[in-house]
Amino acid sequence: MRFTRWRGFAVLLVAFALVVAACGGDDGADTGTPDQPGEVLKVAFVHVGPVADKGWSWAHDQGAQFLKAQLGDAVDITTLEIIPEGSDSQRVFEDLAAAGNKLIFGTSFGYMDPMLAAAENFPDTVFMHATGFKTSEGMGNYFGAAEEARYLSGMAAGAATETNLIGYVAAFPIPEVLRGINAFTLGALEVNPGVEVQVVWTSTWFDPPKEGTAAESLLDAGADVIAMHQDSAAPGQAAEAAGAKWVGYNTDMSEFAPTAWLTAAIWDWGPIYLETAQQVIAGTWESEAFYGNMAGGMVALAPFGESVEQATRDLILERQAQIIDGSFSIFPDPIMNQDGESQPLGDIFGMDFFVQGVIGSPTG
Amino acid sequence: MTTRRFIVEPRGLASPQLKLFVPVASVLAAMAVGAVFLLVTGVNPLTVYAQMYDAAFGSARGFSETLISATPLILTGVAAAIAFKMLVWNIGGEGQFLMGAVFAAGIAIWLGDGAPAALALPAVVLAGGLGGAVWAAVAAVPRVYLGTNEIITTLMLNFIALNFVNFLIFGSNSPWRDPAVTTFPSGRPIPDAARMPDFFNRLDIGIFIAIGMAVAAWYLMEKTSWGFAVRIVGDSSSTARYAGVGVAQKILGVFLLSGAAAGFAGGLFVSGPVGALDPRSLDLGLGFTGIIVAALARLNLIAVIPVAILMGALNNSGPSLQAIGVPTATVTMLQGAILIFAVAGEFFIRNRLRRPERSSSSNPEEVVAA
Repeated sequence: MRFTRWRGFAVLLVAFALVVAACGGDDGADTGTPDQPGEVLKVAFVHVGPVADKGWSWAHDQGAQFLKAQLGDAVDITTLEIIPEGSDSQRVFEDLAAAGNKLIFGTSFGYMDPMLAAAENFPDTVFMHATGFKTSEGMGNYFGAAEEARYLSGMAAGAATETNLIGYVAAFPIPEVLRGINAFTLGALEVNPGVEVQVVWTSTWFDPPKEGTAAESLLDAGADVIAMHQDSAAPGQAAEAAGAKWVGYNTDMSEFAPTAWLTAAIWDWGPIYLETAQQVIAGTWESEAFYGNMAGGMVALAPFGESVEQATRDLILERQAQIIDGSFSIFPDPIMNQDGESQPLGDIFGMDFFVQGVIGSPTG
Repeated sequence: MTTRRFIVEPRGLASPQLKLFVPVASVLAAMAVGAVFLLVTGVNPLTVYAQMYDAAFGSARGFSETLISATPLILTGVAAAIAFKMLVWNIGGEGQFLMGAVFAAGIAIWLGDGAPAALALPAVVLAGGLGGAVWAAVAAVPRVYLGTNEIITTLMLNFIALNFVNFLIFGSNSPWRDPAVTTFPSGRPIPDAARMPDFFNRLDIGIFIAIGMAVAAWYLMEKTSWGFAVRIVGDSSSTARYAGVGVAQKILGVFLLSGAAAGFAGGLFVSGPVGALDPRSLDLGLGFTGIIVAALARLNLIAVIPVAILMGALNNSGPSLQAIGVPTATVTMLQGAILIFAVAGEFFIRNRLRRPERSSSSNPEEVVAA
């Protein structure tokens, strides 16, 4: 009887042993640090969302693939996705450095302090942080003026609305997002002085159901164009279902909502990744805070949707040329705030107010 | 061919060997099932399991990170185990953890840079426990005196606590928010004197405090007359009432103690690896994971310690698996399988499968398993 009782477990154990035996063989040593003698640069990318989000993380992953395509076997790329922000991520960055990665990109704001600490503990590794404001000897940062393209996408939205109410699904009340909303609103007002932009905060970067619901609430409130500062396409799908229009973000997401699609501010991270890797390989990398723009190509405007009229396209492309050649700056100084008062523009990287025409609270 | 049938029947007292064997066999069974899955997806299971072990235990730095992750889980595990032992369903460890962090960060900031560590450290630890107990009291008092369902109230209070933390940092200019950073609402850094001193990489003395508290909780529950009375209430509140035990006070006491344990976890975490009331660093579900820890430890307050370390290891090995090409979804599946098998193993400790004698197969009471 005793034997019978344990037999089930014994069978399981034997099965396990067989499985293990069946797959032994090809590689035994696998513990992390393959210090090949060749000139291979180990590069790691850490993303807050899934790289399949077709949004923020996807755009960065496209940049990583561009880097791989350009340098081929000279780089060995590791990609980690869905890594939560905050202090816990320091472990992830240090693990990557300990595994021999010499260039590590963290593509979300909340990695800033953990990366800074990891850079201190691993001085031989180059850390590059996107969207932050801190640098150190071992950590540079990079970001770009999405507000330039957002202004242009605002023009498309302002021309498309008939109810004169545009809904804006936004992530967090931080300067980056406020800057984008203000630039978008100024663009919309340029082509349509009667327009208003209503903001809803989601407190998430990537949460499709929540972002879709937020868009629906704006559509219910009378908005007929949805804009967003989110990493998912859910607001666009909500707009498509309601027969409204949509301004996306991050990448050309038109396939998710082809009828609703107007345009979007999009990113091209490939060149900065290539340039940084080349500098690290050549030993010429130095820490800096890099802020790209439309002129440099890091920020661009996505292709227009079919419903954008030719006259609007011409107007937008004219403005785009002026932004690129530097003859037009999107934020006036002084600037009219939400309460209709004129105030100095101040430091746009610390922007904490809404411009006239925005409905909602800039503190969330 | 006859169908083989088994009768499931409750075991009397499980032997100590069985209690040890079943969890180990459960984890091995999970790894075997996971191995099949990994093979199908074209990954070598040996590589994966070696990598998991290596990431969590293979180096001094890796092991120190495992202990950092285990520290809050020991205490949220204690929080759940204490409460569940006497049938108080405190699902609010998450919220009590967060309020512990709010109180601990608050006292540290209030004391400021001038306070000596000898004052600041005990203050931070105690404030964490107080914060957790206060938040538990919000559910405990109505439970004891009005008979409200604590499962619902503690669960809802988790979300209120998280929103409160978000409000302190994102929605207001509270003392917890760092006025020096305008680019992104951030927590104000806790003064150095109030940070748990680290002694190996990022590993700080919080691990010893957590283990000490778990042992103290075990002593209180198992070796004192108060703990004995509490266990009677857990077994049968009518017996306890008959024996003259103040049932209401005991439930209240256990509830507050449970909340304090989760609050200690929050206090140690915010003054240890995090260093500020940072919503993104705190919102990791450590209170909820504590419930799993307690279940795997079979509500044994000492067993909570190794189980929490294993959970910390499991958590930390995830990203390193991605680095060797295992998809994120597979990592999550593997972690889930290990947990499900471990919890399911519990069934074999409580029950046994017996092959019936042929004559008894008509018994209508029997539970039949294929």
